[in-house]
Amino acid sequence: MKENIWGRMLNLDRRWIFLFIGVVCIVPFFVPFGLPVIPTRHVISIFDYIEELGPENAIFVSFDFDPGTDPENMPMAVAITRHAFARHIPVFFTANGPLAQGMLESGFAYITNPLSEGYFHVVSWSEWASYREMGITDRSELEAAWEADGHVLPDNAAGWVFEGRDFAKLGYLPYFSLVILGMTSSIAAQYPEDMNGNPLVEMPMLQEHKNLREVDLATTFSGTAACTWWITFGREKIGLPVAFGVTAVSATDYTIFIQSGQIVGQMGGLRGAAEYEVLLQQRGYFDKPDRAFVGMDVQNAAHLLILFFIVLGNIAYFAGGFHKKGVLLKGRR
Amino acid sequence: MKRTVPLMIVLVGGVLMMIQYFIPHRISQSVFDSYTTWIPIIGAFALILGVGSLTRLHGHKVRHRAPNWPYSLAVILSIYLMPVFALLLPVSVGGGMNSPSVFDFAFMHILVPIQSTMFSLLAFYIASAAFRAFRAKSLLATVLLLTAVVVMIGQVPIGELLGSWFPKLGLWIIDFPNNAAKRAIGLGVGFGILATQLKIIFGVERNWLGGVGD
Amino acid sequence: MYETIGIWVAAMFTLAIYSFLYKENPLYRLGEHLAVGISTGYFIVLTYTQVLKPRLIDPVFQESQWILLFPAVLGLLYVTRFFPKIAWLSRYPMAFIMGTSMGVGFPLSMKASVLRQLEATILPLYQPGMPWQDLAGNIVLVFGTLAALIYFFFSKPHKGLFFGTGSKIGVWVIMIGFGATFGFTVMGRISLLIGRVQFLLKDWLGVIH
Repeated sequence: MKENIWGRMLNLDRRWIFLFIGVVCIVPFFVPFGLPVIPTRHVISIFDYIEELGPENAIFVSFDFDPGTDPENMPMAVAITRHAFARHIPVFFTANGPLAQGMLESGFAYITNPLSEGYFHVVSWSEWASYREMGITDRSELEAAWEADGHVLPDNAAGWVFEGRDFAKLGYLPYFSLVILGMTSSIAAQYPEDMNGNPLVEMPMLQEHKNLREVDLATTFSGTAACTWWITFGREKIGLPVAFGVTAVSATDYTIFIQSGQIVGQMGGLRGAAEYEVLLQQRGYFDKPDRAFVGMDVQNAAHLLILFFIVLGNIAYFAGGFHKKGVLLKGRR
Repeated sequence: MKRTVPLMIVLVGGVLMMIQYFIPHRISQSVFDSYTTWIPIIGAFALILGVGSLTRLHGHKVRHRAPNWPYSLAVILSIYLMPVFALLLPVSVGGGMNSPSVFDFAFMHILVPIQSTMFSLLAFYIASAAFRAFRAKSLLATVLLLTAVVVMIGQVPIGELLGSWFPKLGLWIIDFPNNAAKRAIGLGVGFGILATQLKIIFGVERNWLGGVGD
Repeated sequence: MYETIGIWVAAMFTLAIYSFLYKENPLYRLGEHLAVGISTGYFIVLTYTQVLKPRLIDPVFQESQWILLFPAVLGLLYVTRFFPKIAWLSRYPMAFIMGTSMGVGFPLSMKASVLRQLEATILPLYQPGMPWQDLAGNIVLVFGTLAALIYFFFSKPHKGLFFGTGSKIGVWVIMIGFGATFGFTVMGRISLLIGRVQFLLKDWLGVIH
C-alpha cells in the first residue's frame, strides 16, 4: 500500500471519526443556531386533515415501533396526539408489538406528565364514573360539569383528557395485521377491554365509533414495513384514511403511497416530527416546539460533517491514486 | 396426517378466506369475525416456541459452564423474573406492572436505553462509511452520491440558507425519480408476494412445513 | 427517587453500550444479553395480560365461551415442536394461520401493492395550469417507472431500443432512488444518536433545557 499522506489519511483509526461525530452531536446543544424548519406539503396535509376533525370524530394513533427507533418515531406520535387532544378528538391507542405497547405507555406518560409544561391532565375511567351514571358523556358538557364541581385545571396544563371519552388505550395484540382487519367489523370484538382492564363497550367513544368504518383517520408510527398493514387491511378493505410517521430510513420507500393517494401524508424521520411541532406552534396550539425541533440544529451540523467526510474521502482516494491501482487499503481499524 | 392434512388446511383456509372477501354475506361475515377473534389466541401460544428455544440454548450454556455462561444466566433470570414480578409478586416488594415496579423499571430504564443506544451506534458507522466507502468511482456512483448530497442538505434547515430551491429540488427528487424507482421495486415485491401467497395456498411452496417428520 | 435511580441506571447502560465504539467489553455484552432477556420477559407478561386473560381465560371461565378452547388447543400444538416424535402436530396451527392469512391477504395485497400502484402510474402528464416542474416530474415518474421495470425484467436480453435503452435509463433511475434513500438513512441514523445525546445532556446531566 502506498504510504503517502492520503494513504495515511484513509487509514485513520475509525475511532477518530467516531469522536468527531460524537463531538458534533453534542456541541450544537450548547450553541444553538435556531434555524427555521419550514413544513413541507407531506406533513402539512396531515396537519390540515386533523384540523378538520373535532370531538364528533375519532382517530387511531398506533405506536408500531420498538425502543430502537424511539428518538425518531416518538416525537411524531407525541405531536399528533397533542394535536388531537387539543382539539378534543377521541384517540384510540394501539401497538403492533409488545415492546411497542411499552413505547405507547412511555409516550402517553410524556404527554400527561404533570411536571411538564403544556401537559394534558388525565381523568381516569373510574374518576368520572358518577358523571356517566348521571348520563353526562358529551365532551363539552362533561368538562363543564367536571369544572363546576370544583376541579381546577393546573396552570401548566393544556387541558383535561377523560379516559373513555377522549382516549382509550387498546394496546398490543399478536398478528396485528389481522387485528386491523378484525377492527373493520368491530373494535370491541378485538379488544374486549383496554390496557387498564376497563370494559371497552361501555366507553362513550367506542359506542360512537364501533369499528374502523366509523373512524376518520389512522396514524401509524413505525420503523418497519408494519405501517403498510394499515393501507392493506384498513385503507383497501374499507377506505380508512391513513397517515404515516416513519423513520427516515424507510421514508423514501413510502412516498409512492402519497402520490397514489393511499395515504393522507407522511412524516419522515426527525425532520417530519420537527415540521409538525412547528405547525403546532404556528397555529397557536403550543408556545414552543418540542424535542424534534431542538434536535434539528444538531442534524444540521452532523450532515455538514458527513458531507465533509464524503468530500475528503473522495479527495484522498483520487489524489492518492487509489482509483488507478486497485490497491486495497489494509490494516484498517 | 403429517403433511397432507396441513396442506389441505392451508388450501381450504386460503380459498375460503379469499372467497369470503368477494361474498360479504352475513354468514361469511360471522365466520370472518370469529376467525379474526381466534387468530390472536392461536398466535399467543407461538410465544412458547421462542421462550422455550431461548431457555434451552442459554440453559445448556449455564449447565455446562460454557464460556461466558454468566451472560446466559442474565438472560434466563431476566426472562423469568419479569413475569414473576409483574404478575405474581405484590406491589410492596416491587411487583405489578405500573410505575414504580421492577417490571416498569427493567423496561423503561434498562431495555429502552440499551436498545435505543444500540441503534444509535449506526450513526458512528455511517459516518465512517461516508469517509471510507462512498466513492465517485463511476458515473452511476456519482449520480447516487450527488443525489444523496442534495437530499441530505435539502432535509436540514441549512439547505434553506443555500437557497429555497435547494430543499425544493430535494423534495422533487423524492417525489418523482425516487418514486419511479421505488414504485418499480414495489411492484416487483408486490407481484412476488402475490405469487408466494398463491404458491403456499396451492401447496407448491412447502418449506414452511419444516423438517419435523414426513 | 425511583425516577432518579432510573435515569442513572439508564445513563450507565447508555455509556456501557457506547463503550463498544472503543472496544468490545463485558459491560456491552451484559447489556446485549439483558436486552434479549428483558424483552422476552416483557413479551410473556403482555401476552398474558393482553391476550390470554381478556380473550381466553376470562371468557371461558366467566362467560362459558367453550368454543374458544378450540383455538387454544390449536395454539397449544405449537408446543409439540419440542417433542421430536409428535413435532409434526405443530404444523396444524401453522397451517391454519398461514392458509387463512394468505387467503385474507391476497385480494387486499393485490389492491394495495399492485393495482393502486399501477393506477397511480397511469396519469395525465400535463394538465392546464400545472407548473413545469410537475410536468417534468410526471414524465420522469411515468417513463422512469417503466424503465426501472424493464431493468428488473430478466426474461429478455437487455438489447435493442426498448429493452437496451430502457434498462440503461432504468438503472439511472434506480441509482437516484438509492441516493435519496442513502441521504435519508444518514438523517435517520444521526437522529437516533441525537435522541441519546438529548437524554444524557438533558435528563441525566441536566446541562441543557
